[in-house]
Amino acid sequence: MAIQYLLILNRQGKTRLAKWFTGSYNEEERQGLIEDVHRLVSTRDLKDQSNFVEFHEGKLVYRRYAGLYFVMLIDFVDNELSVLESMHFLVEILDSYFDNVCELDLVFNFHKLYMIVDEIFLGGEPHQMLKKQVLRRLEYIDSISL
Amino acid sequence: MAPQMKGLTQFIMDLRAAQDAAEERKRINVEVSNIRAKFATSLTSYQKKKYVCKLIYIYLLGLSEEVRFGLDQAYDLLSSSNYLEKQLGYLLVSLLLNRTGITPLNFVQELIERTQTHLIRDLRVDSDDINILALLFIASNFNFPAVGHQKTVIITNTDPTAEFWQELIPLVYGLCVSPTSTNLVKKKASVALLALLRLCPSVLITNDNWIPRLLSLIDDTDISLILSAVPLASLLTEFKPSYAKAIMPSVAQRLYSLVVDATCPSDEFYYDTPSPWLVIKLLQLTEHYFVKTGSSDSLDATTVQSIRLVVSRSIQNALVPRLAQTSRNTHSAILFQAVSILTYLDASPDALSGAVKALVQLIDSQETNTRYLALDTLIKLVARSEAKIPFVEHLEKIFTSLHNKDISVRRKTIDLLYIVCDEMSYTQIVNHLLDYYPSSETSLRASISVKIALIAERFATDSTWYVSSMLRLLSISGSTANPNVRIDGVLEGEVWERVAQVIVNNEDLTIKACKYIVNILRKSSGAPEGDSLMKVSAFVLGEFGYKLAEQSNSENEQFGINSQFQILYDSYFTSSLLTRPLILSAFLKFINRFPKADFVPDIMDLLEVETLSLDLEIQNRASEFLKIATFLVSSNYEDVSFAKSLLLPLPPFENKENKLLRQLGSLALVNRSTSSFKRTLVGSPAPNGPDNSENFDEKSNPFFEDEAPKPLPLTPNWYGGYHRMLQYDAGIFYEDQLVKLTYKIQRSGYAYTISFTIINNAARNSGATISAFTVSDISTDNKGEYIVNLTKTPDLTITDRSSMEFEARICDIVENKCGPVISISYKCSGSFNSLRLKIPISLLKGLSGTTMASIDDFKKRWVQIGTLLGVEEGELSGLLCAPHRYNCAFLASTLQRIGFAIVQKTPDNPGENIMITGAGILKTLKSNYGVLISLRSTDLDAKAFQLTVRATGAGLSAIMFGLVQEILSLQN
Repeated sequence: MAIQYLLILNRQGKTRLAKWFTGSYNEEERQGLIEDVHRLVSTRDLKDQSNFVEFHEGKLVYRRYAGLYFVMLIDFVDNELSVLESMHFLVEILDSYFDNVCELDLVFNFHKLYMIVDEIFLGGEPHQMLKKQVLRRLEYIDSISL
Repeated sequence: MAPQMKGLTQFIMDLRAAQDAAEERKRINVEVSNIRAKFATSLTSYQKKKYVCKLIYIYLLGLSEEVRFGLDQAYDLLSSSNYLEKQLGYLLVSLLLNRTGITPLNFVQELIERTQTHLIRDLRVDSDDINILALLFIASNFNFPAVGHQKTVIITNTDPTAEFWQELIPLVYGLCVSPTSTNLVKKKASVALLALLRLCPSVLITNDNWIPRLLSLIDDTDISLILSAVPLASLLTEFKPSYAKAIMPSVAQRLYSLVVDATCPSDEFYYDTPSPWLVIKLLQLTEHYFVKTGSSDSLDATTVQSIRLVVSRSIQNALVPRLAQTSRNTHSAILFQAVSILTYLDASPDALSGAVKALVQLIDSQETNTRYLALDTLIKLVARSEAKIPFVEHLEKIFTSLHNKDISVRRKTIDLLYIVCDEMSYTQIVNHLLDYYPSSETSLRASISVKIALIAERFATDSTWYVSSMLRLLSISGSTANPNVRIDGVLEGEVWERVAQVIVNNEDLTIKACKYIVNILRKSSGAPEGDSLMKVSAFVLGEFGYKLAEQSNSENEQFGINSQFQILYDSYFTSSLLTRPLILSAFLKFINRFPKADFVPDIMDLLEVETLSLDLEIQNRASEFLKIATFLVSSNYEDVSFAKSLLLPLPPFENKENKLLRQLGSLALVNRSTSSFKRTLVGSPAPNGPDNSENFDEKSNPFFEDEAPKPLPLTPNWYGGYHRMLQYDAGIFYEDQLVKLTYKIQRSGYAYTISFTIINNAARNSGATISAFTVSDISTDNKGEYIVNLTKTPDLTITDRSSMEFEARICDIVENKCGPVISISYKCSGSFNSLRLKIPISLLKGLSGTTMASIDDFKKRWVQIGTLLGVEEGELSGLLCAPHRYNCAFLASTLQRIGFAIVQKTPDNPGENIMITGAGILKTLKSNYGVLISLRSTDLDAKAFQLTVRATGAGLSAIMFGLVQEILSLQN
C-alpha cells in the first residue's frame, strides 16, 4: 500500500529522476519500466483523459508540468487523488526551493533531488507534507552540507 | 540553496553540448579514467564530492557498469565525518550496489553485510543529522513491501545475516520510542522500522512488548509524526489483530477533530483542508479494520458514531463548490476514501442514497479525474453494500458518461451499469447497452457483450425477452464478441455457446428461438452476418429447425425447412472457416430429418466440394458427413438405422457454470480486498469472488510463526484487586502513583457489567495529565465459556477521571483463574506505562441464594445430589486452613456476599464449633445449577475448617470449592 516509484521524465523520455521506493526491481527491470511508462504516459491525451491509468499491477498517477512528466506507480487500493496532490506538493516545494524551477535546475542539481524527495516521501509514503517545515529542513541541510 | 560544484556543472554542460552519442561517450570515457586515477590519490573533501557526483551522473545516464568501481570509494565515504560526504556515500552505495543477476534476498544480505557496521555507528552517535542519514538509508533501501506478484523478502532467524539485523533493529526501535528523540528522528525511525520489521517479522515475535509503545506514536500531538507512524501501526495491527480494535477509538477521535471540528494547527492545513494526507491514511486504516472484521459491530458506540459523522461530513464537504483545483482534489480524495467505509457502518438507506447522490453528482464534474473516481467509488460502494441502493433515478446520468471522451471512464461506466443492474432496471440497461454497442470502441465490445449476456441471463424472467435480446446482441456484435481467443485458436466461454446452452436446456424456447433466427437472417439477407450469430443459428436450426417446420403450415412458408436451408446455404461461403463446420453439421441433421427433401442434392454437392477444402477440420467433417449422408438417403434399412444412431438429439447441458463469469475482468478486483463482499454478482458465487483466506485469524498471518509469544507478566500487585473483585461487587481494583481504578459490578443473571472509574492520581501528586489511555488488549484463553467485551472505552486523555465498562457473560462452567487479562497503556509526563491486570470471571457472579424452608430441605437436596451424581462427581470436600481466626458471623456474611443463602448457622459463640450451611443457584447461559455448601470448623480456634460443596453440575463442586477456598484463605 504505497508508492513504488517516482519518475520525472521529460517529453523525450530522458529521465530526470528515478526514485525507487521498493528494492524489488533490478537495473534491467527499472530501465524497462521507465521506457514503458514513458511510452504509455506520453501518448495519453492531456485534456480528455484522467491522470490515472492502470499499469502492470497497479495504477500510474501522473501529471505534466511544462515539459516534464511526474509519474508515480501506486497500488490498486491507494487513493489516486491524494497521491496526485502529494505530487503537486513536491512540485510546489521544488518551485520554492529552486525559485521558479525549470528542467535545467533538475539536470544540474540531480543529487539534491534525492535529498528533497527523501524529505517528502519516505519508504513510499507521504512523510512530511507541511511546506514550511520541508523548506526549513532543506535550508538546514544546505547549511550543514559543506 | 547550497552553492554549485563548478567542475560538475562544466561536465554536465559538456555532455549536453555533445553533437552525438559517440562524442558524449568519448567525454564520459575520459572522465571515467580521470576519476579512476584521482581515486588512487589522496583527495580533498571538495574533490571527493565532485567526483562522486560525476559518477552518479554517469550512472543516471544508464552506464551502471562503467562506474561500478566507485563502490569502494562510496564505502570509504560512509566513515567520513563530513555530513555531505556521508550523504553522498550513502546515495552512491544505494545506486551502485549490483542488483542484476541476484535475487532480492541475496541483494539484501549483501547490503546489510557491507553497511551494517556503518549504520550501527551512525545510529549510535549523538547527532540527529547523522542518525537521520542512517535512517533514511534504511527506509529507502531495505524496503521490500509485498506488491502484486512480487514476493516479500523475509529474513528468518536462521539466515546467515540474522545477527546483523538483530543488532540493528533494536537501535531503530529505540530511536522511535526514546523520550530523548526529537520528533524528526522519530518520524524517520518509524518508517525505517517499518521496513525492517517487514523484512524480519520474527523480531516482532520475540519483542511483542514493543507493540503498545509503538502504537502510542499515533496518539502523539504532532500530526506530522502521526502521519509517518500510521503505516507502521497498520503493520503492527496486522501482526496482532487484537490491537487493531484498541487503536480504533483514538483513530476515530483524531478523524473527528480533523474532519468534523476541522481543528488542527494552522500550518497543518494544505490550502483549506486540515492535513488531508493524514485524514486519508486514517480512513484507510479504518477501512482496513472493517474489511478484516467485516463490520463495525466490535467497536463501541461512540467510536462508530464519530466515524459516521466523519463520513457524512466528508460527503457534505465534497459537495461545496470550490474554485481552486487543489481544494477540490483534496476534498474529493477524502470523499472517495470515506465512502468506501460507509457500508461497514450499518448506514441507513438515507445515508447510502445521500452518498450515491453525491457521487452521481460528481459524474458530471468538469474534471475527468473526478468523473473517473466517482464511478470507481460507486462501483465499490454498490459491490460492498448489502442493502439495495435504488439507481433508477440516476441511470440517465450514468448513461451519458458512456459517451465520455476518456475510454477508461467509459469502461468504468459499463462496469457500474453491470453492478447496479437489478429487477427494476435490467431491461433499460440491456437495451441501452445494445443501442450503445455499435458506436462503442472495439476494445470495449467484448466487455459489453459479456455483461449483457450475464445480465440477461441473471434477470431473465421472460424467456422470449432473453432470446430476442441475446440474438440481437449476437447479430450486432459480429465476430468481436469473442472475448477470449486463446493462442491455439480455441474459443473459450463465448457468448454464443452460452446462448446455445440456454436454448437447449429450455424446451419452451426452442421454437421461438428458431423463429427469431429465421427472421433476423432473412432481414439481413445479403449482408454478411456476424460469425457468432451464424454459429448459434446453424446450431439451433440444425437441432430444432424441424420443430418450427412441423409447426408452421404452408401459409408460413418462410419458416419451412426449405426456407431454413436456403438461409444457411446462402450464408455458407460468407461465413468464416470456424463457422462452416457448424453449418455442415446442421445440414447433416437436416438430411437426417428430411431425407427426401429437395435440398438434399445441394447438400451432397456441397459436402463433395468441401472434401477438397484446405481446412483440415472442414475436409475431415465433409468426408465423414458425406459418408453418413449417403447412408441416410440409401434404401438399405441397416445403413439408415446405423447412420441415425450417429445423429441422436442433443441431451441437455449439465454444466451449469457460466464461463462468462470468468471474464468480468477488473470488476472482480473490486471485492478482492474485502472479505465481506456480500452481494454476489450473479446469484452464484463468483469465481473471482471474496478471498476467504484473509481471515481475521492469527494462524493465517504471514508474520505468525509457530513459536507462540510468551505471555507478558502481569503488573505487580494485581492480585489484591483480583481477590477483591472475587467477593465484593465494588471497590478499588488497582492503584499506583499515577492511576487508580475503582470498580462496580452490576449483576443480572448470568451476565454482569463491570464499570471502572479511572482516576488520575498523577494529577493530585504532580498535576500531570494522562494521555493516550488505551485498552490495548483483552486476552482470554477460554473456549467460549465466557464472553467479555469492552462496551465503553475510556477517554484518551484523562485530566481528572474517566470511566470504562466491560460486559461479561458466563456461558458455561468456567474454570477458576482463567479470567481475561486486560492490557492498558498510557503516557504520563513523558513516560510510557502499561498495566496488565487480570479480571476474575468468577462463577460466583452468577450465584444467587435460594431460600430453603428448613435444614431438612437442605439435607434432602444434599442426599439427592449424592445419589444423582455420586460423591465422585457431585461433591468435593477438603480441609481449609485460614490465615487467622474467623468467627461464625464473618464467615456467614462472606458466604452471603458471594451469593449463598444461609440455611443454618451455629450461634456465634467462641469456644463452640462453627457449622454453616448455605445454598444457591448458579446461572449460566447454558444451564442453571444448584450448589450446596457446608462449612464446619474442626478445632476450637476456628482456623481449620472442613469445607464440603455439593453441586448439580459435573466438576462444578471442585470449582466452587476452589473459589470459596481462595476467598477465605487469600491464597493465590
